[in-house]
This record gives sequence, C-alpha cells and structure tokens, in this order.
Amino acid sequence: MDAVEKANAATQKKWAKDAKIGEGMYAVVYKGREVAAGRPVAIKKIKVGQFKDGLDMSAIREVKYLRELKHPNIIELLDVFSSKTNLNLVLEFLDTDLELVIRDRSLVFLPADIKAWIAMTFRGLEFCHRNWILHRDLKPNNLLISADGQLKLADFGLARDFADPGYKMTCQVITRWYRPPELFFGCRYYSTAVDIWSVGCIFAELMLRTPYLPGESDLDQLKTTFRALGTPTEEEWPGHTKLPDYISVGQFPRTPLRDLFTAATADCLNLLSKCFTYDPKKRISAKDALNHPYFFALPYPSHPSKLPKPAKKSSPLEEMDGNVDLSGPGPTVKANPPNKLKRKLSSGEGDTRSIARKLDFTQKSPE
Amino acid sequence: MISTTETETPGFSQKIPLYEGSTQFRHWRYSPEQLARTRSAMNAAAVQAIKDAFEADLPGSSSDVSFLSADEEILLVKLYAGKVSQLCGHFRFPEEVEATAVTYLKRFYLKNTVMDYHPKNVMLTALFIATKTTNHPISLEAYANHIPKTLPSDVLDLEFLVAQSLGFDFAVWHAHRALWGIWLDIQNLPDIRMDELRQAYDVALKHVRASRLTDAELIYTPSQIALACLSLASPSLAAAWARSQHNSRSPTPPSPPTPMPPSESAVLDIIEPIASMITTSGVLPDVEAVREVDRRLRLCKNPEKVVGSNAHKRKQEEKEHKAAEKRARKAERIRKAMEDGDPFGTSLHEQDLDDDDDDDED
Amino acid sequence: MSNRNGWLRGTTIRKGGTSFNSNHTRHTTPQIQSTSSTIFGGGVKDPSGRTSEYFSMDDQCPVCKSDRYLNPKLRLLVSACYHKMCESCIDRLFTLGPAPCPVCAKTLRKLAFTPQTFEDLGVEKEVAVRRRLAKNFNKRREDFPDLRSYNDYLEDVEDIAFHLINDIDVPETEARIAKYKIENANLIELNVQREEQYAQYLKEQEEIDRLDREQRAAELRRLEEEEREEREKGRRELIDKLETSDKDALKLVARSKAQALKRASTRSASSSASNVFQSNAKLLRSRAAQSTVIPDVPHVPLQDDWYAYEDKFALRDNYDDPVSEAVRRDREGIMRAGGYRVEEAWQRALTFAVAGLDLRPLGSAVPSKSTEPADVVMAEA
Repeated sequence: MDAVEKANAATQKKWAKDAKIGEGMYAVVYKGREVAAGRPVAIKKIKVGQFKDGLDMSAIREVKYLRELKHPNIIELLDVFSSKTNLNLVLEFLDTDLELVIRDRSLVFLPADIKAWIAMTFRGLEFCHRNWILHRDLKPNNLLISADGQLKLADFGLARDFADPGYKMTCQVITRWYRPPELFFGCRYYSTAVDIWSVGCIFAELMLRTPYLPGESDLDQLKTTFRALGTPTEEEWPGHTKLPDYISVGQFPRTPLRDLFTAATADCLNLLSKCFTYDPKKRISAKDALNHPYFFALPYPSHPSKLPKPAKKSSPLEEMDGNVDLSGPGPTVKANPPNKLKRKLSSGEGDTRSIARKLDFTQKSPE
Repeated sequence: MISTTETETPGFSQKIPLYEGSTQFRHWRYSPEQLARTRSAMNAAAVQAIKDAFEADLPGSSSDVSFLSADEEILLVKLYAGKVSQLCGHFRFPEEVEATAVTYLKRFYLKNTVMDYHPKNVMLTALFIATKTTNHPISLEAYANHIPKTLPSDVLDLEFLVAQSLGFDFAVWHAHRALWGIWLDIQNLPDIRMDELRQAYDVALKHVRASRLTDAELIYTPSQIALACLSLASPSLAAAWARSQHNSRSPTPPSPPTPMPPSESAVLDIIEPIASMITTSGVLPDVEAVREVDRRLRLCKNPEKVVGSNAHKRKQEEKEHKAAEKRARKAERIRKAMEDGDPFGTSLHEQDLDDDDDDDED
Repeated sequence: MSNRNGWLRGTTIRKGGTSFNSNHTRHTTPQIQSTSSTIFGGGVKDPSGRTSEYFSMDDQCPVCKSDRYLNPKLRLLVSACYHKMCESCIDRLFTLGPAPCPVCAKTLRKLAFTPQTFEDLGVEKEVAVRRRLAKNFNKRREDFPDLRSYNDYLEDVEDIAFHLINDIDVPETEARIAKYKIENANLIELNVQREEQYAQYLKEQEEIDRLDREQRAAELRRLEEEEREEREKGRRELIDKLETSDKDALKLVARSKAQALKRASTRSASSSASNVFQSNAKLLRSRAAQSTVIPDVPHVPLQDDWYAYEDKFALRDNYDDPVSEAVRRDREGIMRAGGYRVEEAWQRALTFAVAGLDLRPLGSAVPSKSTEPADVVMAEA
C-alpha cells in the first residue's frame, strides 16, 4: 500500500504549485511549474469525497480520456498524482482561449487565421473520433490556445466513448448554442456528427465575431436555428419527426448562407453548409472536412505563431468564478461549472503580449 | 516470407500505432517473469510489514502467523474475479463493465496485497468504478442496496485507493471487442460458412471470458487473446484469418523492441501460449483450496488496516498528530503575518493557505 | 442636439460663424439661443474648431439680475475685462458705441464680448492669456544650449503670464513682451513654420495609411477575382478539350490541373508580398514583417504521428452481426434520425481486432515456441 503512496509522493515532487488562478465547485486550479525544467503548468486539484456517489464523473472522464490522448491539438495531461483526499491533474499551461480571442475587438482576423483555427479544431476533433471518443462540449471557451498559437481541445468532462449498438446516451450535452437539433429532439442514439455541428457554430462565430445561434431557451434555440438555416423537411432529414422530443417550431425558409457571411468564399460556405447539414448521417465528418477544398485553396492557413492573441488581462482571479459564468455564452449543461478553470491566465507577471513582443520572439535573425 | 517493406515506406515506420499510445500498453504490460517477480516482491514486503505490525502490537506474536504466499494470493483474486461475473449478471451490466472490473481487480493486486485489503470489498469497489468509467453509472445507493451485507461506505471507502492504485488508468482495451472485430472481418474471407463461424464465435467468446481469470491481458494484446480464443474454437478459421492478415495491403510497422519483420507463423506462435494459458488457468479455483486460504487470511491480515485494532488506532493517532502539527504551524504563520502588520502576509506562494493541503506530507 | 440634463450644455458655434438668426423654427436648435442680432464669435475653441459654451441653471446677469427662469433665452457673455452680462444688457449699453463697463468702468466695445467656455472666469482669462503668449513664446528645448537655460526661459514665461493674469505691473509686462518679440523675431518665425510643417506631416501620414489600406483590400479582391476567373477558364478549356480532342481524358485532366497549379504558384510568388497586406495598417504591417520570416505553408490534413491500422482491414457497410441487428433494423427510424452510425462501432471493433496483433510480448526473446514460465507461476494449489 505504501508503495502506491510512495510512488505518488515521488510524482508529486516533480511539480511545484505557485499561485491559485481559479476555483470551482469541485476543483481548484493553480499555476505551477515543472521543478526540473521550469516549464509552466496548470495543476487542477480535485477534491475527492465531495459527492455521495464518490469520485465525480466529470473528473473520471477527464482523467480517463486525457490519459490516453496525445496530440498537438489536444491539451496534454502531463501527470496525475494524488494525496489522501485530492486528485491532482497536471495539465499543460495554456494562457488563453478562442472565446477571448473572438471577444477582443482590437484583434483583426484574416481569412487565413480563421482557416488555421478551424483546421486545428478539426484535427484535434478527428483524433478524438479516431480514438472513438465524442467530445460533446465543443465551444470557443473550451478551445484553448497556447503561447505558440496552437489551438487545443480541452475539457473532456462530458466526453465519452462511442456507444455500443443499442445503448442509450444522454441528450443533455453540449452547451445550448452549439448543440445540434437532433439533441434537442431528444435522440438517444447519436454519433460524431454532434461534435461537427458544434464546430460549424464555432466556424460561423469566428466569421461573425458573435455567436451564430444564440438561443435563450431550448425552444428558442430551435427557433433560432431554423430561422437561420430553414426548417428541415422530411426529405432532408428522414425520420426526424419521430424523435422522442420532436416539436414543431414553425416553418422558416432557408436563407442562403451567403447573405449573412458576405465576406466568405464559396469554398468556405460550402464547408460551413456541410457542417450544418440537418441529417446527422449526411453531415460531414472531421476527416472529410480536413480534406475539403477550402483548406487547400489560397490563402494558406496562417502559421500558428502569427495568429492574433488577446492582450493579457490584469486580474485573472475575477475571470475564474466557477459558479458564475461571467463571460457566459449561454448556460452550460453541466452540473459542475468549472470550465472556466481551463482558462489559465497567468498572474500577470509583467509580461505584456504586445505585438512588438511577439515579433521579438519570432524573429530570431533579422533578414 | 520475410518482407522488407519497412524500408520501402520509411515514413510509415515513424508512425506510432494507436494501441501503443494507450496506458494499457505503456503501464500494464509485463513479461511473465516480471509478473512473478512483482508479485513475490510485493508479497515479501507485505509479509515483513505485517510482521512488524504484529510485533509492535504484541512482541513474539508474528511467529505463529502463517502468511499467504504469492500464489495463494493469486488464488483468492481469481475467485473474486469470478464473482464479478455473477454480480454483473445480477445487475445486468454489459460485458464491457464486467471485463473492465476484472481488469481493475487484477491490476489492483499487482500493487497491493490481499493481506492489506481483502478482495471482497475491493471487488465491489472495482466494479463500482467500472460502471462509472464505462458510462453505465449507477447510484451508490442502488448499488449497495442490491448487494447483501454491504453498506455504501464499504464501497466508497476504497474507491480512491483503488483509483490511485490503478494509476488512474481507466481506459481498457478488451479482448471481447477484438473478437467481435475478428467476427466481422472474417466475413470478408471467401468460402466462409456462416453457421460454422457462428458456432466458433460462441465457443470463442466463452474462452474470452475464461481468459479473464488468467494473466493473459497483462502479457498479450487483446487482439492476440481474441485470436487465441478463436483458435481454440476453430483452428482452421483462426489460421485462415491470420493468413489474410499477413497478406493484407501493407505490413505493420514493427514496434520498437523487435527489428524482425512479422511473419504469419510469428502471429500463430504468439497465440499458442495464450491458448494453453487459457485452457490450463482459465478455470475457477478449487473451492476447498480457496476456503483454506481465506481462513488463514483472517489470521494474517494486516492489523494496521483493521479498524478497531490497536495497530490501527495507533496509526490513526499518528496521522492525527501530524495533522495537528500542521495546523499549528499554519496558525503560527498566520499569527506572525498579522503581527508583522501585513494581514496578507508575505507573497502568496510562500504561504500555501490551502484548506486541505495534506499533499505536503507523505 | 439638445442634451437634456447635461451639466455642460453646448452649442456648437462653427468656425465660420454660421448664423443663428433664423433659429426659432429649427427643432434641433440648441438650448442657448441668441436673441441679439449680433453674432458673437470667439470663445475657446477645441482642436476641431468648435466651442462648447458654459451654461448653468443658476446663471444670472449681474447687471439686470434676470435669470433663466424669467428669461429662458438668457445668454451670458464675457467682456474683455472678464465681467459677465447678458446679451440684452450688452445690446442696451453698447449698441450706440463704446461705453464703460458697469462693473469696472473700463471702456468696452460691443464686439469685445465673447461667449463663456469655462465655469470659472479666472480660468477663462488665464487660458486666453496663455494662448496669446504661446503665439510668441514658442521656443523649444532644442533652441537652448542646455537644460538650465531652457528652464530659465520657461520660468520667465510663467512670470509674465502670472503678471498678466493677476493684473500686476501690466504695462511693464507688456513692455517685456514687446522687447522679447523684437529680439527673437527670427526664431519665433522659424518655430511657427516648424509647427505648421509638423501638423502637415501628420495629416499626410494619415492619408497614406488610409490609401494603403484601401489599396491592399482592392488588391486582394482583384487577386481573388483573377483566381476565380482563371479557375473558370481552366475548367471551360478542359471541357472544350475533352469534347474536341481525342486524347485520353485522364491525361487532359491531369495536364489541366498541372497548369492550374503552375499558374497558382506563379501568381502567389508575384503577389505573396501583397497577399499579406490587408486592412488595419499598423497591425498588419507587423504581421507582414513576420510573414517574411515565417511563411504560411499549405494545408496538410492530418499532421500527427499516429497509425490507426486503417490498412489492415476493410470496413464494409454491411455485416451479419447479431450485436447490431436491432439497431440496424430500427423500424421506427429513431436511430437513423439521431445519426447513430453502426459503422463507427464496427470500425472500433475491427481496429481492436488488428491492433498489436504481431506485437511481440515482453520477455520472449525467441520468436518460436518456448515454454511459458507463466504456466509455472499460475500453478494451481
């Protein structure tokens, strides 16, 4: 028994905790560093024994999946160690997320930037799907961005394996604004298409700089969706009227995407429309999306180091209120709020992310 | 038929196969010798520790005690692994849950001894955790209520420990799914008689279940175990499929340790020992033998882990003492800070003002 | 333009002095309306050339004691000696020519009155004084040999200003000013010119930036158009060729693609610099600098190093599979509508079936048969 504890203690010594940068209902997040190399990390300390059913499911899922996945576009779980009553996840430190980038009005997006972000999202997602994992909580808030511009999927608290045939899954997943209509209609047997719909919403949001389908309630969300994309017909989406919670919310005509996304190219709109296909079986897959002509057309996707990043904020603590979704893009589905915990802003140690600074790092030798 | 295609496709060999990224491959893969060594080492250490505990309690008492050997531990674990199956049937848990729970049980006892933790409760806890990690969760109450003589606390107390002992490696690749895959892929072969295949599959599945009682999954990959089970059911089908595997488009990039390219017979060579392992050890142990072991276990249990014993009380006191010391130290620090005039004390990270920071200990 | 409840209500008096005369009919007229027939210019102007006038509900003309309540159109102006009075009083007293100020008896003309900008008349006066001085006392640090002398100069200026504002030794101070002007005439002139040049330069910069921006946007649009046209053209040509020529269709398609690629690469080579420059001048200029150091590379769909055994099996779209029988039958179409894909479950199983199939187990040095020590360990009691 003590052998296990000893091993744990040894692991624990490899990581040093610094300042607290966030707190939620069941976890506290610290900034930390690797003792040997000094590499910055985020240490998520999960209190165990809080719930009557023991170890929290979200915690289990995060650990389970992050432990298996290693990919440049997925957040890396560097280590796990535990003490008597705490589970500590050592995650790589990522200072910002896509939501902050979208919200920061001083940043200008090139079409090449959007292309790069979406490509990275699809790559991370394709890898999840390749490992038979559905993420089920994609939203800009959960797409973290590293210092060198790489986008990474995070927060696997709602993820799960593909279901075996005949096994039901819950339809109460994914934050409302990014949730596909089949989930609103209560379907219990779905697949990877649900994640693709979320990516489509994120794609649109990158272009509009505001959430594409912001509904205020489940019903309103359906209405908003159908108003934007037209009510699905039986021909388009066979069988959808038979879904458990099917409800008719009105007949809206399909307006062409071009009317709203005036600056987008034809390829771009084509890919976007494929993400928003109503019939989940016909919705594009992550792998096919990566092979879509949109990505091969000019302009090339921006190199990650050149992607815009928001200026550092001064007080990270007020961002981290786990109970109140301050930046609130719609209510989250989870019982446990702390997805804010993923936003690991550093404690403002005087590092200003001005563009000039960025230049310094990337220009190793002036031409 | 040695193929040299790794040189033809150099880029290929740089790719890592998916299985080799899993925790199952990285952390829970042993050679038979390693298994034996691990177990005996652990057993010896445990015996020593318990002896000391006995001695501390009552000098001289340890010589009377007959401790369990590593083999006897295995026996007990096997028995309870079998019980998992019964419980799962009772609760109607899917096969995935059952397989995962058995894996957790076996892995737990590679890191712990039965003399510290009796398999009965560990088994219940492992099963409970398995329901959570495989997305078939059940409420603790519902679970405990349906198991006779079991309180929720019996299950919950060990949960963290079990998870910890597993290294939080919750994802498991199972042989029964691999068998399903073989079933599907065999249908691609020409001249397959479906009734023959179906029969073979049913028998093979039984063998997969038997394999769970062995160490197979700790040494071999799920695909190998599945193929072995199929070979026990229908050697011809297994051989046919193995042959087709070898002939398929491009060969597997060789995994790091072995430079030799795989050949068809190599695969069959690998699965042969698995087959024999299943037939010899894939059976439940003799009831009488187990009963004997269980009886002796009651006597040689580690007193420190038994609530109510002197040794346990003493350990608790020790813990309390440490905790109290720590609290005092913390209070002292805060008091000093207040005296210094700065209520917030020195910079945040010099003071670790967490509430439950017993991380620093141990 | 009426800002209700504004502490500081403004009228915008344009530089050119547009008339307020016919303002009774305009519903957008500002709060303060001139009742006088004279137009009062002047007042402190802000950089855009507008003034905003000070206004308060407590205003009262010290001469006739009328206030806003009695006379809503009350407008107080300031004399050259910095005393306030309302327009009607000014009219009454000064229309017939210069007259003494009712407060300090200084002789004033009607035109010497300006609207008030600041609440505190003292501030108003000070601002006016400093403005006037700054016109002449415009030396800069560079004009002095050292810091000390520059500071001395500044102190002198302050001194003069102080005198003027507080009406101390006014004639002597004026003399000092006059003396300074004569002595430094050249330098004053020079500095005035310098300032003008600088202002001009700033304006030009702004203009350049704006043009830049527009140009780049136009360039990009042009490029896209070109591209689209070329693609179209290529396609049309290809179709033509396919129709007319008797060569192998595949070859034609391949050639057409190669041509398109060549075109694209030459185009990007020539316009790679301008491709990067787009809106938002400053930001993108820096990004442009970056791009020459780190070029954008073409998209590669999958960039990771994981091998998922795809080549070891072929996924069919149909199998004899009791496990998924019910799902596939799916009479209600529920699973279908929800999008559940049995293929995904099959793919998983197939991958499991081949993953690590020839992974040699640890500890077995010889590939051929060997007695497994495992059997020994697992010996039954």
